[in-house]
Amino acid sequence: MIAVLDPVQVAARPEPNPTEELQKTVSASRLNCWLQCRLKFFFRYVLQLPRPPSAAMFVGSIAHQVLQQWNHGRWRKEPFQTEKFKAWFDSQWTEEQKTSKIKWDDDQADERASAWKTLEHYFLETPIKADERPEAVEVPVEADLSHHGLPRLIGILDLVRAGGTIVDFKVTGKTPDPEQAIHQHEIQLSCYGVLYRDATSRKEAGLELHHLVRTKTPKLIVTRIGPITQQQETRLFKVMESYVDGVGRQDFVPSPSFGCAGCEYFTECRRWS
Amino acid sequence: MIVLETNYSKKLGLPGYSSHQFSITLKTEIADLAQVQTESNRLYQLLQQSVDASIKEVGFLPTEVPIQNRNGNGNGNGHHNGNDTWECSDKQKALILKIVEEHKLDKKEIEALAQDRFGKGVKALNKLEASQIIEILLQEHSDNNKGNGRRFGSRYQKAGAK
Ligand code: SF4
Repeated sequence: MIAVLDPVQVAARPEPNPTEELQKTVSASRLNCWLQCRLKFFFRYVLQLPRPPSAAMFVGSIAHQVLQQWNHGRWRKEPFQTEKFKAWFDSQWTEEQKTSKIKWDDDQADERASAWKTLEHYFLETPIKADERPEAVEVPVEADLSHHGLPRLIGILDLVRAGGTIVDFKVTGKTPDPEQAIHQHEIQLSCYGVLYRDATSRKEAGLELHHLVRTKTPKLIVTRIGPITQQQETRLFKVMESYVDGVGRQDFVPSPSFGCAGCEYFTECRRWS
Repeated sequence: MIVLETNYSKKLGLPGYSSHQFSITLKTEIADLAQVQTESNRLYQLLQQSVDASIKEVGFLPTEVPIQNRNGNGNGNGHHNGNDTWECSDKQKALILKIVEEHKLDKKEIEALAQDRFGKGVKALNKLEASQIIEILLQEHSDNNKGNGRRFGSRYQKAGAK
């Protein structure tokens, strides 16, 4: 099935991504988007329609940058100084805000204060010791899965702790339920396990989700799982197979659901036939 | 008096290119030759069950378990036969050498960086470690990437960067 768009929209968009290319390489984000809604995938990855930046994306990005600084600092054996990270956070926020076109629902100053408070709380509560040196920080990895008849898998690991525990940082407004979090992020975590094993020829020690929760009183929820299981790997590979098939068939149909409330392509979706 | 000597031995392959084996030898006496077949069958069952019960306990295993043969992953050079071989992929090796050449970097410094971060030389870095070294070199030496902005920008701006 081929998705059709309003001619005006079509004229304004960049060159579409050939589906053959999308079949050759996958990432956790692509797979998740595909599973969430194939029409959304079409807008985002085939037509490459620009994604209006959101306040949540902006905050998440700045928080990740600060965490990356902190991880690299431990690797360089630098002493921990909150003021240094605060100064870095402030300058990066100001700098990126100049070029962003975000419509802040609430007061931007409040968002900024709450983002920093959440990071400060993380530094206090994190299970990672100040002198624990990482094994990898924000590192891009890829795995050739052609021997499984599958596309190349790519991804970026936020942090690999000493001993091989893969950590993914999430900045969120809602307190996650650990069991649900593991289920919801299964594809991403399985991708990370496969990528780590391919890149190191070792099994990961485990995986951790560090949810930095931006509630009035910030929270840190750490969810741990063991190394990915054979069953999880099989599930991932089956999802990848289905992705390759579906993209090949150009099976880009909408999946209306509660998730549509936050979809950036709602207008385009309503025009689709 | 007839002495029947029986032995049962089993060797099992284990992760990490290791293996273990266990055997039990048992001597018993039988009164006449007519009992050999029956007794030997009984002892075989007994020894096999005993060996199997014990061999399930694998005991110590190497902590770093190789997941796959590196020759088989299609990316690595896969040779372990000398100092001139690299553990990372050919693409990564070429990129590291290119960055070093383009920025006229001191190979000793890169070597020191690899030693500091991973406790091994550049050629011994696996694909994850090589990717990290490339990231650090790119951040430090790319003109467009002053400071820390390279991946941050892409994470925020590009959908599906991860
Ligand atoms: S609005 Fe819903 S159905 Fe339409 S593209 Fe977005 S997620 Fe899919």
